[in-house]
Amino acid sequence: MEEKKFANPYLMGIALGLVLLASFLIMGEGLGASGAANRFALAAADSVAPGYVESNPYMAGKLTEGKSPLDAWLIFEVLGVFLGGAVSAYTAGRMRRRVIKGPRISVRARLIMALSGGILMGMAARLARGCTSGQALSGGALFSVGSWIFMMMIFVGGYAMAYFVRRQWL
Amino acid sequence: MIFPIESLVSEQYELGLVVAVAIGFLFGFVLERAGFGRATTLSAQFYGTDMTVFKVMFGAIVTAMIGVVIASGLGLLDFKALSESAVSNTYIVPMLVGGLVLGIGFIISGYCPGTSLVAASSGNLDGMMTFVGVTIGSFIYSAIEPSIASFHDSTDMGQLFFYDLFGVPPAVVAVGVTAMAIGMFFLADKLEPVFSRKFLHRDKSLDRRPRLVAFASFSVTAFVGLGLMFVPLGAQKQGPTTKALSISQYEFAKRLLDKPWSMRIIDLRKRDECAKQRIPGAECVPKDKLGELGLEYAPGARDLVLVAAQDLEVLPKPVEKYKGKVFVLQEGFDGWTRFALQDPPVPGADASEADRSLYGFRSALRQALTGAPPPPPPPSGVKKFVPKKRKKGGGCG
Repeated sequence: MEEKKFANPYLMGIALGLVLLASFLIMGEGLGASGAANRFALAAADSVAPGYVESNPYMAGKLTEGKSPLDAWLIFEVLGVFLGGAVSAYTAGRMRRRVIKGPRISVRARLIMALSGGILMGMAARLARGCTSGQALSGGALFSVGSWIFMMMIFVGGYAMAYFVRRQWL
Repeated sequence: MIFPIESLVSEQYELGLVVAVAIGFLFGFVLERAGFGRATTLSAQFYGTDMTVFKVMFGAIVTAMIGVVIASGLGLLDFKALSESAVSNTYIVPMLVGGLVLGIGFIISGYCPGTSLVAASSGNLDGMMTFVGVTIGSFIYSAIEPSIASFHDSTDMGQLFFYDLFGVPPAVVAVGVTAMAIGMFFLADKLEPVFSRKFLHRDKSLDRRPRLVAFASFSVTAFVGLGLMFVPLGAQKQGPTTKALSISQYEFAKRLLDKPWSMRIIDLRKRDECAKQRIPGAECVPKDKLGELGLEYAPGARDLVLVAAQDLEVLPKPVEKYKGKVFVLQEGFDGWTRFALQDPPVPGADASEADRSLYGFRSALRQALTGAPPPPPPPSGVKKFVPKKRKKGGGCG
């Protein structure tokens, strides 16, 4: 099957905005992603070393007595994201096992970069109380000053670092 | 007001989870269609060759922002309740640093946390690696957070909104943001071909029709939102808050410690009594002077807490026009004296866990407020109750 072209960014912007609006209206919450990763980490830690989680006030503060960290709205939302992404990719002929990279980098190096960038973002998202979806997008649409500060800094960080990793992408 | 549908987070929790999967599905679907499952599309933003990230992101923000303004203008949405539940506090320095580090991680990995998941779902192994990284990173941060907690919680401004900062209605800010976004979109469309030729040595064409549709709908709806401000529709013009809520001494004391910025405390007793002793942060405004505060013009972002000598029977007139919530402290300042400033009764050995923790809380409170030495601990060795100072995270929290 031929891969379809990606949709127009402006129309997709409106579509994404309407999904966010639906989430606001129906649930009173924004969209999220990194919070779910945090809950996965918490659930894993809690099943391997519950004593450690108890002793860490930051982690313990996120646990609810008698409730799994995975029993949360965000986990189900992220499950939906995975399904939605898969269905969209499949129906557009883009579902294939591969590694996305620029022409001048090896697969191995690319995967290491992906992992380390992910680790940085996981830490940053905790510090900023959310990631691009939960903080920048959702908070930004609700006029939060902190969300806009965060969003501007994402672009600053990205542009500042782009030169140093150009071999990976160009 | 119909929205948000509160039962979905309480009685109908399970139905809420079904909605979660549905909303997530659409979220993932749209991201994939926009090309956000590809690190090459996303990273191109930072070389200027393809500004899809910027366009989709700001297009979505403008759309949702205008939607929220219109829905609350039509009286369908409880804007205040939504803002309270979906927005985190503004922590200036943590957000500056967090944004910078996230941006760096973004260009290194080629994804942000949400898009890495979309990439993984369409079979991209690099996306999967990134999401694993995000999970590991969350764990590392959680592990070290207790040692950097003071930084984590620094420069906390509470919930801070542009409309409060500028003192204009949200609809006006929305029009401003829309105008700014359209300007930036034009600029992005001008820059893309320049950088495409420079870095990729190829031309880039622009599809003008969808852009025209998008810009036209942004402009029209933004002004509809603005126009609704002048049309009294249903619940949009909220009637005076004649119904004041009652707050218990315990709830009030907890809030005074956890979120003092969320309250404006007004002590209604005679000025000399109030001057002698009052709740920390309280303003001394005798009842007959309340009119001079201009409460009807205040933004109403903070909840008003009224403290009389005893229970307040009749709500003073000037308070009725306050836009935010109004609370009356149960039993007034006399109650406060008994609850917070005098020795709490020591619970017996057979007292319940709740009584013990209340005792711990009251002794700690009294000690903090009066500087008096701590009262004796309750009979058996039960840990002292330390009021938690954790705040809710963002939508990602």
